[in-house]
Amino acid sequence: MLTRISYAVRETWASFQRNVTLTAAAIITSAVSLLLVGATFLIQRAFDNLLTRWKGDVELIVYVRSDADPEQIQVIEQALRSQPSIIDVDQLRYLDQAASYAEAQKLFAGDPGTLRLLTPENIPSQFKVVPLAQDSNLIRELGEQYRALPGVREVAYAQDVFDVVARVSQFIRVATTAMSIVLLIVAVGLIWNTIRTAMFARRREIEVMKLVGATNWFIRIPFMLEGLLQGLIGAVLACAGLWGLNSAWSGAVLDFDDTELSALVVTGGFVRWIMLLILLIGAVAGAVGSGIAASRFLDV
Amino acid sequence: MIRLDSVSKTYGSEAPAVRDASFDIAKGEFVFFVGPSGSGKSTLLRLMNRQEQPERGTVWLVGRDINSMADSKIPFLRRKIGNIFQDYKLLLNKTVFENVAFALEVIGRPKHVIRQQVPAVLELVGLAGKEDRFPHQLSGGEQQRVSIARAFVNRPLILLADEPTGNLDPATGEGIMKLLDRINNTGTTVVMATHDQRIVNQMRRRVVQLDRGVIVRDQERGVYN
Repeated sequence: MLTRISYAVRETWASFQRNVTLTAAAIITSAVSLLLVGATFLIQRAFDNLLTRWKGDVELIVYVRSDADPEQIQVIEQALRSQPSIIDVDQLRYLDQAASYAEAQKLFAGDPGTLRLLTPENIPSQFKVVPLAQDSNLIRELGEQYRALPGVREVAYAQDVFDVVARVSQFIRVATTAMSIVLLIVAVGLIWNTIRTAMFARRREIEVMKLVGATNWFIRIPFMLEGLLQGLIGAVLACAGLWGLNSAWSGAVLDFDDTELSALVVTGGFVRWIMLLILLIGAVAGAVGSGIAASRFLDV
Repeated sequence: MIRLDSVSKTYGSEAPAVRDASFDIAKGEFVFFVGPSGSGKSTLLRLMNRQEQPERGTVWLVGRDINSMADSKIPFLRRKIGNIFQDYKLLLNKTVFENVAFALEVIGRPKHVIRQQVPAVLELVGLAGKEDRFPHQLSGGEQQRVSIARAFVNRPLILLADEPTGNLDPATGEGIMKLLDRINNTGTTVVMATHDQRIVNQMRRRVVQLDRGVIVRDQERGVYN
């Protein structure tokens, strides 16, 4: 057993040295493709974070005219509370002008021009409404009824923004997934090619090995180990890149403290999981790719 | 030990390399396959260690039908067979010792067995003291001795030799034949393909003559023709 292990390790290392250029090419390609795989996951996660936050949040805002009298506000609230099957009445919140002004201070932190126009007196107060129904048409219909009520200035649907972001996220998801799959195939192809070259360089040895009765697995394992190592080294590089990328991104996003964008930060725990996944994909792709290549070229 | 039952083998669309070959080789026998190039000698040898599969007929080795044997069992079959070639097939980047040790290493023999058996077999083939030479530092005869040592180090039951003296001058070839004779005397069955008339006539062993893939003569204590 010990003879076999030392043999496999020795042969793997020798082959690695023999094929420096091809090995480097295979490693770099797997690193880039795995980095993209990781980035895909992170981007999706960031968008999911953002969408989840919005989804669980207000989806309908009824803005009340700043000059509405308390009775009109009362009527609006009654109207909202009369639809407990469509509206989550427990989560219904009324932000009076002071609260709305405070919120605006945050939302328009980056837009002092707009802020200057707003005062606690002219800002509309608002009902933040969380619908129970998933059907956006139903919600829209309801919204139109509220719009007709006296004292209502405007009804805004979060659904509109949500849809746009969801569509963008979907597009990015498909594009990055497709790119990472293509690159992953290229990486496996390059690993395959390195293994084929390595086997060609050692065809005499392989022939002798087969003739003296070495099992196919015995012949194959050093090559698989080589492929596995190439995939794994590529994955380690990809992990380093991913960590750097995420740190830089998080740093940049956190500068927009307190805005919705902060949802785009992906936390370290998730990144560690993705890194583990990348290492696994790299190792498996390398070993399987080279294993298949080794089997293909093994029939003497 | 070896038995062929109406074995035929064709490569592609050419005329059959071996046609309807049948014979028995007993344990401990020394058999020559003779005939001109392309008469099917090498193909017969390749059929015996399942480097080739016949279209028809059965090859029996040590009482087993090797054609219907699972691929995974073939390596273990080959451990019972030693192979010697005209071009030696040595690994040029390995020393004499490493070349022979390689045969044991790749079938998972432990180090202490290798350290004990390799010098013993090198002694047997007359290469004691040349363990650390590389193939290019050896004469053709010495290189063939290394390849015989590699074929024999695992004490196979059968030795298949394809033109082992083909690249050697007569005197050196004779030395190789003496060595194969000694190995045969240990009880190892030796099957050798050759077109070296002198050697065949000198040895006076069983001769199987082939002509265009057909066995035309099978004679005890025979001569070349």
